[in-house]
Amino acid sequence: MIIANYCTAAALFCLGLYTALTRRDLIRIVMGLSLMESSTYLLIVSLAYRADSTAPVLLSPPDGQTPEQLARGNVSDPVLQNFCLTAIVIGVAITGVFLAVVVRIAQHYRSLDADRVRELRG
Amino acid sequence: MSAAGTAALLPLPIVCPIAGAVLAPLAGRLSRGLPFLVALLAMAGATATLAPIARLVYGGNGQVVSHYLGHWGPVNGQPLGIALVGDPLGVMYASLVAVVGTLLLLAAFSELGGLGARENGGFVCLFLLLLAALIGSALTADLINLFVWFQVAALASYGLTGFFLERPIALEAAFKIIVLTSIAGFLVFVGATLFYRQHGALNMAHLHTALGTGVRTADLLALGLMFLGLATKAGLVPVHAWLPDAHTAAPGAVSALFSGLMVNLGIIGLARLLLQVFPSREHGHGVLPLLTTLGAVSAVLGALMALLQEDLKRVLAWDTISQLGILGVGFATLSDRGVAGATYHLLDHALFKTLLFLCAGAVVHSTGQTELSRLGGLARHRPFVTAAFTLGVLAIAGIPPLNGYASLGLIHEAVEKTDPVTFVALLLAQALTVAALGRAGYLAFYRRRTEPYENLEKPRAGMAVTLILLGGACVAFGVFPNRVLSTVAAPAASSLLHPDEWAVAVLSGRAGVPPLDVTFEYWTFSGLLIVASTVLAGVLIAWWAVRWTTREVPQPRALRALRALHSGSVNDYVAFFTVGLIATLTVLLA
Repeated sequence: MIIANYCTAAALFCLGLYTALTRRDLIRIVMGLSLMESSTYLLIVSLAYRADSTAPVLLSPPDGQTPEQLARGNVSDPVLQNFCLTAIVIGVAITGVFLAVVVRIAQHYRSLDADRVRELRG
Repeated sequence: MSAAGTAALLPLPIVCPIAGAVLAPLAGRLSRGLPFLVALLAMAGATATLAPIARLVYGGNGQVVSHYLGHWGPVNGQPLGIALVGDPLGVMYASLVAVVGTLLLLAAFSELGGLGARENGGFVCLFLLLLAALIGSALTADLINLFVWFQVAALASYGLTGFFLERPIALEAAFKIIVLTSIAGFLVFVGATLFYRQHGALNMAHLHTALGTGVRTADLLALGLMFLGLATKAGLVPVHAWLPDAHTAAPGAVSALFSGLMVNLGIIGLARLLLQVFPSREHGHGVLPLLTTLGAVSAVLGALMALLQEDLKRVLAWDTISQLGILGVGFATLSDRGVAGATYHLLDHALFKTLLFLCAGAVVHSTGQTELSRLGGLARHRPFVTAAFTLGVLAIAGIPPLNGYASLGLIHEAVEKTDPVTFVALLLAQALTVAALGRAGYLAFYRRRTEPYENLEKPRAGMAVTLILLGGACVAFGVFPNRVLSTVAAPAASSLLHPDEWAVAVLSGRAGVPPLDVTFEYWTFSGLLIVASTVLAGVLIAWWAVRWTTREVPQPRALRALRALHSGSVNDYVAFFTVGLIATLTVLLA
């Protein structure tokens, strides 16, 4: 049923994009981007899944299996799970910078309306 | 030094600037100028470690050396560790970043050195991080590593754009660049992981070998996502909207860094993805025509928008979009002359655009004005900056013996026979570029100005040295085109045009790429005719456009509509992005 995860990830991404497309509130745009970000986490963890696999942990394997069997056998892909961790770290950094900019915009313009923050145009 | 020993130097050009970025804020606690000294030392370290690599790589026809981080080399032909690769293209870009980046640090020191110690430390830290990320992206052969450098460059660029927090437009620009570049980052990331899921390969060479056996729908989806993500960094239409804003708000040296060096991350990433990783020649599914189209549209639209701008730095920023479009067209030709012309033009563009942005920075620094309508008469007050700016404009216009002539000439020759529509678009873009920069140059420097400036700051020595060196490089690259081609540009193009040999070389650790014989004939009738006609057309358009500013003639309605399309609203820019995404995926998957 991993297809359901893919569909959810795609829907989350579209929802985030829709938010960034239609909302003028800067905080909501940040939230839209966070949604898109989480959709990539979901997608990547789901991509790592293989049917009937176990977690890629070789310590204390399930009953009747040795670490060697697990290493050669059916575990979900640890590389993709690592990417997901990397992406979460980068995502936190970006959201932090993003919110810092929004705070400074709020201080300067006394508004969070993206439509009032558009001196640069054309 | 042995070849393996030289290959082991590959991480150092990245490590040096990162170490400098860590030390600079600490050095700022001791003294105000110390962060800049740390930065110059770090970049000197990067340049010094790149030099033996470059000597090895450009020996013969072009060699490829690779180094696996932590010595996690390939096992049974399967690469495991992250590979750093010195190939002619990557080392060209890395050396360009190291050398021009050092010059920009010098210029930044003379322009901004008067800031407080804390500000200097933070500024230098971000600057070095961006340079490190660009060098990293040049030397990596791993898709996820490329994504990491993409994000490091993005984070540093957010910081640099919004560095002068007291200027509201800097905040606005930072907000827009964050929104668009973050979405682009997600796309690159998802694309890279999809490739990995399909083929179990992250190493570009390994992935190229795996893709050779067959391309599935998921691969095309991954290609489309990565394509648009990297195109955003490169500033191609329709995902270009962040670029002019980011350049307007930043100080001169930072704009020069963005335009001369950072946007190349995107276009080099695109070139690697489409030419080295993906078998576009065999299973392209329209991705190369897509790049040609986006490139041609960017070239024309960027130049047209540059013509309409009122702000000196915005003129240059829009022109960057135009030039990057020309690079895209060059890479998409897949012909010897076109790709070699594009790698050559990449160097040229970095040189003259850096020069022009530093001149614009010097103008802003001395007059405090950026609006073209408020400038003028600088030829009398600032003859040196005027000369440097004029040199840059002539180089972009492709007037011999300056550098734009050779590289643009090669790209034009490559497109002329095979693709007449694109050729006409490039000529139109060239005429409009001449017009836009000629108009800006006339209004800012040569126009008579009756009232004196309130306050003219003296130009700084560091700035002058940088301008002289960059201007000298523009002349040298134009006078010896075949030297540049045979040593650097042709090997770099060869590593793009022979992906199979390149992949073997990367995986085996050290081998050469086949020779590529491209020479540029200097005095050809057609080449000179193109220059003469585009310059003539450009001057006529500029004469017409100057009168918009002096309010003698109104701007045509169609052009005003084009400007109004770039509404400054971040929602609209995300909409452009969405249109680009849908169009790319439709072209590739349909």
